[in-house]
Amino acid sequence: MEHIYRAIRRDPRFLELERRRSRLSWILAAVVIAHCLWYIFAIAFFPEARFAALWGKPLAPGMATTWGIVIGFLQIVLFIVLVVFYIHRANGAFDSRKDAIVADATRAAGVND
Amino acid sequence: MKKPLLAAALLIGTGASLGVRARTTGDTDGVNVNAIGMFFVFVLTSLCITYWAAGRVKSSSDFYVAGGRIGGFRNGLAITGDWCSSAALMGIAGLVYTNGFDGLIYSVLPFGAWPLMMFLLADRLRNLGKFTIADVVSLRMARVPIRSLIASAGLAFVVGYLIVQMVGAGTLISNLFGLKYEYAQIAIGLLIIVYVAFGGMIATTYVQLVKAVLLLSGTSFIAFAVLAKFDFAPESLYAAAVANHSAAEKLMQPGGLLHDPVDAISCGVMLLFGGAALPHVLMRFFTVPDAKEARRSAAWAASFIGYFYLLSFFIGYGAVVFVMKGPQFLDADGIIKGGENMAAIHLAAAMGGDLLLGFISAVAFATIVAVVAGLTIAGASAISHDLYANVLRHGRASDAEVMKISRYAAIALGILGIVLGIAFKEENIAYLIVLPFTISATVFFPVLFLTLYWRRLTTTGIVAGGWLGLAAAVAMLVAGPTIWRDILGHEAPIFPYKYPALFSMTISVVTMILVSLLDKSARGHREVRAFEDQFVRSQTGLGAEGATRH
Repeated sequence: MEHIYRAIRRDPRFLELERRRSRLSWILAAVVIAHCLWYIFAIAFFPEARFAALWGKPLAPGMATTWGIVIGFLQIVLFIVLVVFYIHRANGAFDSRKDAIVADATRAAGVND
Repeated sequence: MKKPLLAAALLIGTGASLGVRARTTGDTDGVNVNAIGMFFVFVLTSLCITYWAAGRVKSSSDFYVAGGRIGGFRNGLAITGDWCSSAALMGIAGLVYTNGFDGLIYSVLPFGAWPLMMFLLADRLRNLGKFTIADVVSLRMARVPIRSLIASAGLAFVVGYLIVQMVGAGTLISNLFGLKYEYAQIAIGLLIIVYVAFGGMIATTYVQLVKAVLLLSGTSFIAFAVLAKFDFAPESLYAAAVANHSAAEKLMQPGGLLHDPVDAISCGVMLLFGGAALPHVLMRFFTVPDAKEARRSAAWAASFIGYFYLLSFFIGYGAVVFVMKGPQFLDADGIIKGGENMAAIHLAAAMGGDLLLGFISAVAFATIVAVVAGLTIAGASAISHDLYANVLRHGRASDAEVMKISRYAAIALGILGIVLGIAFKEENIAYLIVLPFTISATVFFPVLFLTLYWRRLTTTGIVAGGWLGLAAAVAMLVAGPTIWRDILGHEAPIFPYKYPALFSMTISVVTMILVSLLDKSARGHREVRAFEDQFVRSQTGLGAEGATRH
C-alpha cells in the first residue's frame, strides 16, 4: 500500500485536487466560524458594542421581531445551504477526479510489481 | 441470544405496568392514558427492532458499526436521533421561556458545529477510522497511550451525558406517566441494556431512526399549531410573547442569560468545538460504506437538525404565549409545573390537548432512551475495543471475546446509569451537560483536528496536552460557581467562570503544540513521517476499512 500512497503523493493532479478541495473547505469553514463569532460576540457585548447593538433593534419601529431573531434564523439556513453546496462539490467533481488518480496509481503499481 | 431478550422485555413490561398500577391506585394526578399507550407502542416497536437486529449481529463490526452498511439517508436520520437529545427539545424551549433570545444560543452555535464537522472532519474520519475515533488517531500514533487517553475521556464524557439524560427521563416519566422515579430509572436502564447488548449498533441505529422521525414530526406539529394561531405571521407571535412576558421587549434581545462576556465566549467555544467532536455522533460516520456516504449522511443530518433548530425559534416563544398565563400549567405560586424544562410539553397540551400531550411525552421518552442507547454503545466500544482489545490485550483478542466484553460493558453501563440516575435524583443536573461538551472541546476536537491537519503532532504532545486539558477542565468545573458555590455551599468560587472550555481548550492545544515541537524522540520522528501516508489515505480512502467501491 505504501508505494501506492507514494505514487499518489507525487502525482501533480493529486496536489492540485488537494489544494482546491482544502481551499474550498477552509473558506467555507471560515465563513461559518465568522458567523458563530458574530453571534457569540453579539451576546457577549450587547448592548455596548456597535456590531452587537443591531441584534436588539426591531426590524421596523413598533415591531416585536428584532434583527437578532432574523439573523439567527438566516444563519441556520445559511449553514444548511453551505453543507449541501460542499457535498455537491465533494461528491461530484472532486470525487471523480480523485477516483481517476487512485485508479492510475493502483494500475501503475500493479505493472511495477 | 433471543431467549434472554424476551425475558428482559417481559421483565420491563411487568415492571413498568406494576409501577403504573401502584401509582394509579393511589394518587392519580398527572396520569395520562394516551401517554402510557403511546409509550408502550414505542417500547414494543423498539423491542421488535432489537429482536430482528439481534439475529444480524454476527461480528464485532456488526456490533460497533452495523457492518458499515447503513446508507447515507438512513444514517443521516440516525445521526439526527443521536444529536437531538431531550435537551434540544425541552431544554431550548425552557431556556427561551425563561430567558428569551439568549436561549437560542443553544440552537445556532451547536448547529454551527455541523458545517465545521462536515468541511473538516467527516469524510477524513471515515477514510481513517474503523470503530472508534481512537482508531483514527492511533493510525500514526502509539496505540496504548492514545487509546488510554481517548477511552478515559470518552468514558467521562459518556457518564456525564448519561446522568443528564437519565435524570431528565426519570423526571419526565414520573411527571407524566405517574410511574415512580426509581421504577422509571430501572425500566430505562433495562431497555438500554436490551437494545445495546443484544442488538448492538444495528438495533441502536433503527431505534434512533424511529425516534428521529417521531421527534421531527412531533416538533413540526407543535410549531405549526403555534404559528397557525397567528395566521403564520411570526411577528404576531413575537408581539404576543413580548406582551405576555415580564422582560417585555428584552425577551427579543441578547443579554438575558449570559451576562459576562468571558462566560458567553467560553460557552460559545464549548458549543461550537465541543459539538463538532461528540464521540457518539462521530462514531456514526463509521457505519456507512465510504467517504461519499459519510458526506451524504452528514448533509441529510444537517438538513434535519437545521430544520429542527429553526422550529425552536417558534416553540419557546409559543410557550411564553400559551403556557405562561395558563392556570392549568402553573402551581399555586404561578411557577411553571415541573420546571422550565416542561415548557415544551405543556405547550403540546395547550396546542393539542391530551392526545398531543401523550404523543409528545412519548416522543420525549423515545428521545432520551435512544440517546442513552447511542451513548452506551459509544461507552461500550471505548471499554471493549479501545481499552480491552487494544490496551490490555495489545490487539490479540479474538472477535468473539471482544463482543462478549462489549455486551458486559453495555450491561455495566446500563446498571451504572440506573444507579447514577437514582443518586442524582432531585439534583439540578443542567450544569452536568457542561462536562461532556467541555471534554469534547478540550480533548476530542483538538486531538482529531491536529492529527488530521498538523504534520508535527506526536503522541507525546497529544498525551501531555490531552491529560492536562482534561484535568484542567474538571478542576475548573469543580472550582467554578455552579459546583463550588451553589452545590458545595462555599462562599465564593475559586474559578470565576461557569464555562471553562475557552481556558481548558487553550491549555490543551498549546501544550500539544509545544510538547510536539520539543519532542525529538525516534518515535516522534516516525510519527511525523507517517503523516504523509495518513494524509493520502484520509484524502482518497485508499486502504480504508470496509471500503468496497475503489
